[in-house]
Amino acid sequence: MYFIQHIESITHQDSFQKENIWNELKPLAAGSELISPDYKNYIPVAALRRLSTILRMGITASKACQEKVSTEFDAISVGTALGCLTDTEKFLVTINSVSGDILSPTAFIQSTHNTISGQISLDLKNHAYNMTHTQNALSFEVALKDGLLCMDEGKKSVLVGAADEAIPFLERLRGNLIKTTHPFTSGATFLVLSDEKGNGIAHIEACDVSFSSEDTETQVARFLSSNNCTFQDLDLILEGSSVFESKAKKHVSFPDYSGYYQSASAFALHLANDWLIENKEAQTILIINNLEPDKLGLTLIRRNEVEA
Amino acid sequence: MNIYVTGYGVISSIGENVEETLLALRSEKTGIKQGEKTYTERFKVGEIRWTNDELVQRFALTQDASRTALLGMIAAKEAFQGHTLDPEIRTGLISGTSVGGMDVSEIAYKGFLAGETDDLDLYRNHPSGTTSEQIAKELGIDGYVNTISTACSSAANSIMLGARMLLSGQLDRVVVGGTDGLSQFTISGFRSLMIFDDEWCRPFDETRKGLNLGEGAGFLVLETEETMKRTEKKPLAILSGWSNASDAYHQTASSPEGLGATFSMKGALAVAGLVPDDIDYINAHGTATPNNDLSESHGIKTVFGSSIPPFSSTKGYTGHTLAASGGIEAVFGILALNNGALLPNLNFKQAIEETGLVPVKNYSEGNTIKHILSNSFGFGGNNSTIILSKV
Amino acid sequence: MSDLKENLKAQIIEQLNLEDLTPADIQDDAPLFGDQGLGLDSIDALEFIVLLDSNYGIKIADPSEGKEIFQSVNTLAAYISKHQ
Repeated sequence: MYFIQHIESITHQDSFQKENIWNELKPLAAGSELISPDYKNYIPVAALRRLSTILRMGITASKACQEKVSTEFDAISVGTALGCLTDTEKFLVTINSVSGDILSPTAFIQSTHNTISGQISLDLKNHAYNMTHTQNALSFEVALKDGLLCMDEGKKSVLVGAADEAIPFLERLRGNLIKTTHPFTSGATFLVLSDEKGNGIAHIEACDVSFSSEDTETQVARFLSSNNCTFQDLDLILEGSSVFESKAKKHVSFPDYSGYYQSASAFALHLANDWLIENKEAQTILIINNLEPDKLGLTLIRRNEVEA
Repeated sequence: MNIYVTGYGVISSIGENVEETLLALRSEKTGIKQGEKTYTERFKVGEIRWTNDELVQRFALTQDASRTALLGMIAAKEAFQGHTLDPEIRTGLISGTSVGGMDVSEIAYKGFLAGETDDLDLYRNHPSGTTSEQIAKELGIDGYVNTISTACSSAANSIMLGARMLLSGQLDRVVVGGTDGLSQFTISGFRSLMIFDDEWCRPFDETRKGLNLGEGAGFLVLETEETMKRTEKKPLAILSGWSNASDAYHQTASSPEGLGATFSMKGALAVAGLVPDDIDYINAHGTATPNNDLSESHGIKTVFGSSIPPFSSTKGYTGHTLAASGGIEAVFGILALNNGALLPNLNFKQAIEETGLVPVKNYSEGNTIKHILSNSFGFGGNNSTIILSKV
Repeated sequence: MSDLKENLKAQIIEQLNLEDLTPADIQDDAPLFGDQGLGLDSIDALEFIVLLDSNYGIKIADPSEGKEIFQSVNTLAAYISKHQ
């Protein structure tokens, strides 16, 4: 079983180290800001100075997860759609403004997509499998699938997460390139997959991705049926848009809470997990990640059985 | 259950396909020379001579895309040649890239900085994930499409993930590898790290100064035994081992003792069910930087003890092709297996004093090569190894 | 010379993003690199090369030369005085 032993998020919501993130949740207003913990409590100053927002979020959320579980992670799988945008832009500015030969290297070094997972392994002194997946809006799902695969292969404790950061430049791409009415935001969610329940409340039943123009409803129905599930069984649908609102007992468009960043379905998983805390009758939740056209990520979450 | 390689494709500065590549390897001819673009002309690079438009024309590609995507399409198309899509054969694609479509988006961004109108549509090509989607589209593959971005170990990791997806039964066939086109961003980036060599790079040489960058793409088609019965494809090689581990030493430097390298080589041997003595040739990561080659040498010594097999870096041929290197070098590995070849470490003169290791100096065929080990190590301490075996 | 050193300290703080430090926190003869010092690393060594170039027009072609030059504010200042 793929138990979610622990899950942490840093977002524009007050979501970090909360018993139940729904307690503080409000639909996101325009002009919201990232609600960050004091990173100095998690990252030494000498390292902190080089770290952009996405790196701070990723390392801190991961560390918070490691503090809650006693074993070292056997694998680390991270998803990010656009990676370290701040440092990418910084280095682009550098190469276009410095006429001489000598360029500051820090932004270049920090701009690589796997800086997030690399810094996590450095910080945790972890030598295990370390992977970075960059598949646009499906970045979290493919990272999660890799994590599930690691569990299938016998790993006991796997750190899975996703993060993306917003920069002002993204506003220029709103419209044709990035189709959303939500504000551009940053966020990171990290979770511990384990073969043991621990203090967790839910497990991942299945996760699937497809890069296809096939009708979404057909794909969703097929996914549910292959997991012995129907729309009627779903207590909550968390969706990237609102197409499936009519099919749900309860429906949440997750970007209303996360804002728009391509790996926000990771936060949807946190929403799903914590929703089970108060809603004690609920059993089954589906995340439909249809943030981008012609790509679909589906994740089915179930409540853990209570020991008799 | 064996994982079979049933297709391979490659493009780099030494050849535009597998056949040309083998000829270049045999002739010990490097593809590295003084760059011909404005941002490469001051460096020795393994550049592919065609512009993006010429690539589209020459290889009859159906999409306009970034250089990284185009190179990937070319190599993936070659690998997938003769394979047919079939709804009964669940086929996926996993590609590795470090720079994605930056060669296009950096031009647009430059215009933006200069206060000009930048064509916003160009940024569509930027994301790493988009390059894989474009490659998949070119081949007609849908379903599972993924992108690995772990710097220089990306392609090796894509190959590894593909094998694992096959073994888990989630896919029947998968196109795996990596691609990176040269861009000003990358050239400037490595320049800022001061790890270029102004001359031809000298992997594993005492006097090595740094690397030469290159570009290209290398892809494999992997199938399970079951799938091969249906497709009736003849296997080129067996992908018998793979492993990934984290060095966790420093963001850009490898640990002096080559800890991550040791883990990944030992891990791959374990997956393959082989012992170090079984390896007949090592295609090293060997970027010719002072740090990597020493660190990797120590890793090799730790794993292989006193019986180190013939080893070499082929980056003297192609330059360091970053995310593509694991894919391109996997193709080289298969060529070596099937031609009994030992591939030379070009430009080598003097062994590293601290280790005394001497790589293969000249190309030869007729050797007994049953198992090849190939290393790819990326920034962030990401260490990957794959093992290819003769059918 | 002491002006140079004070300037240097401010420049070091800026170039290396040592947000929490002030020039007063950096002793003239304190080792800059390694665990005993400010804990700077090989990336910082490259940033020092940028600092010397952009602030003093001094070019260092070989990063390995840096080890000697960047030991402390004193050695840095001495090098700059010599090469300007």
